[in-house]
Amino acid sequence: MAERREERFAGESRWTRWLVAGPPAAFLLLFFAVPALIVVLASFREPGEFGGLEPWLEAGHLRLTLDAYRFLASDWIYAEIFARSLLVAGLCTMLCVVLAYPLAWVIARSPRRRRDLMILLVVLPFASNLLVRVYAWIILLGPAGLLYTPFAVVAGLVYVHLPFMVLPLYANLEMHDPALLEAARNLGAGPWTRFRRVTFPLSLPGIYAGSALVFIPILGMFAIPELLGGTGDILVGNLIKEAFLDNRDWPLGAALSIGLTVAVLALAALAARGARRRAPATGALP
Amino acid sequence: MKRLAPLLALAALALAAPAPAEDVLHLYNWNNYVSDETLERFEAQCRCRVQQDYYSDNEEMLAKLEAGAVGYDLIVPTGNAVESLIRRGALRPLDKAELPHLANVKPEFLDPFYDPGNRYSVPYASTVTLIGYNVEKMRSLGLPTDTWALIFEPRYLKRIMGRVTVLNSQHELLGAAMIYLGHAVQDRDPAHWEEAKRLVIRAKPYWATFSNSTYIKDLAIGNIWVAHGYSNDMYRAREDAKAARRPFTIGFTTPKEGAVLAVDNFVIPKTAPRPDLAHRFIDFMLEGKNAADVSNLIGAGNTNAAAMPYIRPEIAAEPGIFPPPADLARLQMVRDFDAAMRRRLSRMWTEIKVR
Amino acid sequence: MSARAGPALWAAALAAYGFLYLPLAVVVIFSFNDSALNAGWVGFTTSWYAKLLRDGDMLRAAGNSLAIATASAAISTVLGAMAGIAMQRWRMPWLPALVMTPVAMPEILLGVSLLLFFRQVLDLTLGFFSILAAHVTFSIGFVALIVRVRVAGLDPALLEAARDLGATPWKAFGRVMLPLIAPALVAGLLLAFTLSIDDFVITFFVAGVGVKTLPLQIYSMIKVAVTPEVNAVSTLLMALNLGVVLAALRAAPDLLRRL
Repeated sequence: MAERREERFAGESRWTRWLVAGPPAAFLLLFFAVPALIVVLASFREPGEFGGLEPWLEAGHLRLTLDAYRFLASDWIYAEIFARSLLVAGLCTMLCVVLAYPLAWVIARSPRRRRDLMILLVVLPFASNLLVRVYAWIILLGPAGLLYTPFAVVAGLVYVHLPFMVLPLYANLEMHDPALLEAARNLGAGPWTRFRRVTFPLSLPGIYAGSALVFIPILGMFAIPELLGGTGDILVGNLIKEAFLDNRDWPLGAALSIGLTVAVLALAALAARGARRRAPATGALP
Repeated sequence: MKRLAPLLALAALALAAPAPAEDVLHLYNWNNYVSDETLERFEAQCRCRVQQDYYSDNEEMLAKLEAGAVGYDLIVPTGNAVESLIRRGALRPLDKAELPHLANVKPEFLDPFYDPGNRYSVPYASTVTLIGYNVEKMRSLGLPTDTWALIFEPRYLKRIMGRVTVLNSQHELLGAAMIYLGHAVQDRDPAHWEEAKRLVIRAKPYWATFSNSTYIKDLAIGNIWVAHGYSNDMYRAREDAKAARRPFTIGFTTPKEGAVLAVDNFVIPKTAPRPDLAHRFIDFMLEGKNAADVSNLIGAGNTNAAAMPYIRPEIAAEPGIFPPPADLARLQMVRDFDAAMRRRLSRMWTEIKVR
Repeated sequence: MSARAGPALWAAALAAYGFLYLPLAVVVIFSFNDSALNAGWVGFTTSWYAKLLRDGDMLRAAGNSLAIATASAAISTVLGAMAGIAMQRWRMPWLPALVMTPVAMPEILLGVSLLLFFRQVLDLTLGFFSILAAHVTFSIGFVALIVRVRVAGLDPALLEAARDLGATPWKAFGRVMLPLIAPALVAGLLLAFTLSIDDFVITFFVAGVGVKTLPLQIYSMIKVAVTPEVNAVSTLLMALNLGVVLAALRAAPDLLRRL
């Protein structure tokens, strides 16, 4: 009896499922998967004489090489840059959580009418352009002597990505049943305990979702390290950009990108697993 | 939500309405290399519109073109980039009949090594890559401003740590290092390039950042005291600082060891949609009065003989812009390398960026 | 009744708001500064706004940006919502990978791969549609993520009840699920809009020659010499965005009231 109910419930027919999942899938296959394969292929090709790529199939035989990957593996400095990028992204993500949490909490607990305004105020900074906001930091940090330093890069990265943490966290916190906290208080739990044992665990899916939206884009950024950072502050994104735009060494750039994507996919899988944990509206703890 | 979507769609359609068809010249140029006034005069004369895109490094421009950016009518590459473009067959031969003012070009700039007979290019302006600096600060610190040592030697650098920027260009920076070490920029000896690379890596921790154009502002504001950059940009920084009544002045000097001279040229890509407009623009810029703008308004060296009478004397006398014969002897022009050398240099550049 | 936020939390929240808005305040204030350098306050002027309205390139770039952002937001919200719902409700293991990987990938890779794809495979002239396709590609994942989180938090009993009461799957979707996830849709729409307006990296690669967007225009100006004209256009753009969102709120008030 229960199974039949289950079937009927998730009972949208296969036709419906494909109708819903189909269009986005088709779009992304065309504009994402296929181009991605092109890049994978590019990482195995030889760089063209004037830049670009040599043809991969010539007179019936393959012109592919592992040269780019060999170069990356031959010097530990690339691993160092990867590691540094991961550390910076991790640091910025944690700072985002710390800054976003009180904000998301306050908005979630505000009277309904005010919430849209408060969320609006969070999103509004995005109305200004990324580059101008970075430039504003240049104005602020220049006289303070903090420009072209790691601090500037972190500040810029956190600043640009903070709203990405606030929104999913808010979406999660908003659904917490206040009765839970009430119950915890009645059972004698202090505010910190209430946070630690009730709110925080329930908000984890929101944190995972927000972290995915912050951590991963940071890894690919080059504009902020380029404009705000010093000579030693480049991240993986800068390496890739330079490979394509300054050195015209496309196979190397493609190989770097593939390496980065692999690292990031692993992290994304972790994040997805965390986010899949349901946040039950009724409040039953997982 | 249901009501919103059609509203948004309408808005999108309204905003995306195509502009009325007009003659547009697509110019791909260095930043700060042609003044608005000059463009306005041209637009009035040809009754067309000029749309400019910018780049701040030849490599960047070549990379964008290689990646398939089509639609430019006119590009302004430096000599070595012209060489590269000709070699790959990307340029459209010029129709000399449409360039009556071609005779205005100074004879020493005609028939260059990178384009014998000027089949594809017409020289536009020249710059020297040199060192710009905050005059008062350098004086108070007692630092020499006429040598590359200022940006390469730790004994000087430690006094201006974090206040120096260098060009984000492998040709320019490594070229400057080679010149400082007494080698030619066209040198093919890998050992010499390794030496240059080590010099750069040793100096790198003292530099604030790599910058191709933000140094103009940084110098003018006072955040940066020494910058490796182009003479016309230094001129601009000097004027900006003056206009903003900053308590210091910007100076620029060609280092005594020598420097890179860049001659930038108009070329028309094969895929140009409006070669006719491109030719008109080139001819317009070949007229003496218009060519003079390059020096008067931009502060770049002039390749046009007919422009000389129109150039302000203080600019004509500026050694960083119009190098006197003594300096000219020390200036070198970069040539395009072959693929193998280029790859070696790129790998070297990557290493410099990464260490 | 509900756990009201204490003063310490309010202080922290205000600090976060302050952090968000301080740089913007700087941008706005300096847009009225009578000096070409954003260095020190010299005097008040509105000349930069006047200059802006005469600057054809800037106006065209702004128009392009707005058009692309609107179209991209609309398309990506629809596609993203479909993807988010599908990912949460049905077992299609390949779908999350396909939808989320563009989010995972460095933008620069997306930019370069799309450029190669458009030019070398499709031989398409870069312009409005190449930028639009690129923007939708990276926006879908973000919207899907937000919608998915929201759908995950829905009480399955609600939908079950609707079905038990005889609603067809479509009715159940339209009358029960859709209103419940509406806040996520609005959030996703806003996010997609701002992602598009703000995008620099991918657009940098796929914009081509004819179509300039605001970020590209501003980037080239930053490299040359940012005059407060850029500050002026940012201020105006912020005001415009505020107007758009307020209009959206007015057009669909009951949705947000259900928040």
